[in-house]
Amino acid sequence: MIRFDNLSKRYSGGLEALRNISFEMDSGEMAFLTGHSGAGKSTLLKLLMLIERPTAGNLLINGKNLNRLSKSRIPFYRRQLGVVFQNHQLLFDRSVFENVALPLQVSGYTPGEIGRRVRAALDGVGLLDREKNNPIELSGGEQQRVGIARAVVHKPKILLADEPTGNLDPQLSEEIMALFKRFQDVGVTVLIATHDIDLINKMNLRIMRLNQGELELDRAAHGIL
Amino acid sequence: MASSSKARDTQRPQRGAKGSSVSLMDKWRGYKYHHRTTLQNSFAKMLREPLQTLLTVVVIAIALTLPTALYISVENIRQLSGGLESSAQMTVFVKKGARSGAIEKLGEQLDALPGVASVSYISAQAALEEFKALSGFGSALQYLDENPLPEAFLVKPLLLNDSAKLVNEIRQITLVEDVQLDMEWLRRLDALLDMGRKLVLALGAALGIGVILVVGNTIRLAIQSRRDEIVIVKLVGGTDAYVRRPFLYSGLLFGFFGAFIAALMLIGLGLWLEPSVNKLASLYQSQFRLAGLGVGGFIALLGIGGAVGLVGAWISVGQHMRDIKPR
Repeated sequence: MIRFDNLSKRYSGGLEALRNISFEMDSGEMAFLTGHSGAGKSTLLKLLMLIERPTAGNLLINGKNLNRLSKSRIPFYRRQLGVVFQNHQLLFDRSVFENVALPLQVSGYTPGEIGRRVRAALDGVGLLDREKNNPIELSGGEQQRVGIARAVVHKPKILLADEPTGNLDPQLSEEIMALFKRFQDVGVTVLIATHDIDLINKMNLRIMRLNQGELELDRAAHGIL
Repeated sequence: MASSSKARDTQRPQRGAKGSSVSLMDKWRGYKYHHRTTLQNSFAKMLREPLQTLLTVVVIAIALTLPTALYISVENIRQLSGGLESSAQMTVFVKKGARSGAIEKLGEQLDALPGVASVSYISAQAALEEFKALSGFGSALQYLDENPLPEAFLVKPLLLNDSAKLVNEIRQITLVEDVQLDMEWLRRLDALLDMGRKLVLALGAALGIGVILVVGNTIRLAIQSRRDEIVIVKLVGGTDAYVRRPFLYSGLLFGFFGAFIAALMLIGLGLWLEPSVNKLASLYQSQFRLAGLGVGGFIALLGIGGAVGLVGAWISVGQHMRDIKPR
């Protein structure tokens, strides 16, 4: 599903954020991406979101080389992704419902379909009763769950999460990881960037560790579940 | 509706990829719905900042009112002068002592000149009779030994602009003593109107650019205040067209409302001027009535306003969207 092929990224300032990264993730696989801040986690996610382009090497999604994707096709590629942002990136000028509806609106869904899917997504994260609230009225954990609902409302093939448990207490973190697990169960490829060691140790998942732009460790989940 | 969507629900595979496909018909419906809601949202956003909106709309209205008012004035004057133009004529005086046969020939010669609409002969005798009747010097004229008035022709030119050339041509004819163009001022007026029309164009262009800049600036502020939203929309797969659309609608609405206010201002101006114009017209015993914008002009003004607003928004969006990452 995701294949990094000898990929490097050097920023125009000269900083080499990623060096010769190669790995593959199968459809329906779930993995942690870890490493110190500045190790290149964010850059790797940005490459997947096509916010940045690699300076060398290839990035293949579903067998398609993203280097060959024209600018006008980028939005359609992004619709296959679901992204949970570190600071959830919710819009405070509209309701929870409207925040979650955004990915469906840009894809041109009808209002009826939008209503159904948004409620299904909010139900999935346990916030169905909050759809009319403004996200600012919600707690940090609830906001993060709204962000997750928005990331999965359009049933993406790939779910990317950047520090999804950043400032949540352990119990909330576990709840959110359980949510991700449920998406994996229905075939979504899930990549979670985090430096929450406790969380990583608690879960039996593939771990990829970046260090100064290089893939230092790529350890599969132990045992077959 | 509810039952059919439920039926589809059970068929939908749980795999994400296929679940997100949309049928063409649904896409079209979604597209229409999106356009309608975008327009509504743009309108709602304008109302949410009434002062800023009013300011922009009034500036646009003034910028549209000035050239339009000038245009209407020029058109009115032209209509007025059009009535006078038909009465433009020149008097050709024949040399004293010309024989009647030669005078008759001169009449034919004048009639044959290119650019002449009509020629009528006024004999010296007829001119004297008319003068007697109109001037009130009737009895005094009896003491004159001979008729002091020359034989004359009244020549009407086809086109006012040709009259100067025509005067020169007629002056060349040997039998002609002199030519008097009665309507010299009309030609000046025509030249003035021509200048007026050019002024309308120049002023219209300058103020049109002004409107584009005003709308552009307003849209720039709107883009800046909605930066977060643009970024997120792009990250969830919104196309550039999708991101642009609300701003283009805002520009269109600004121009449209500006034009509407401009039309109201012109109607007000017309009502305010009408009594004075009517009084002036009655003093000249004229049937002249002030012509307003008219329905066609009103629609054209709205169209121009909307178009200029749209162009302003387009330029601004094109410029400022490039600054926002991701592209």
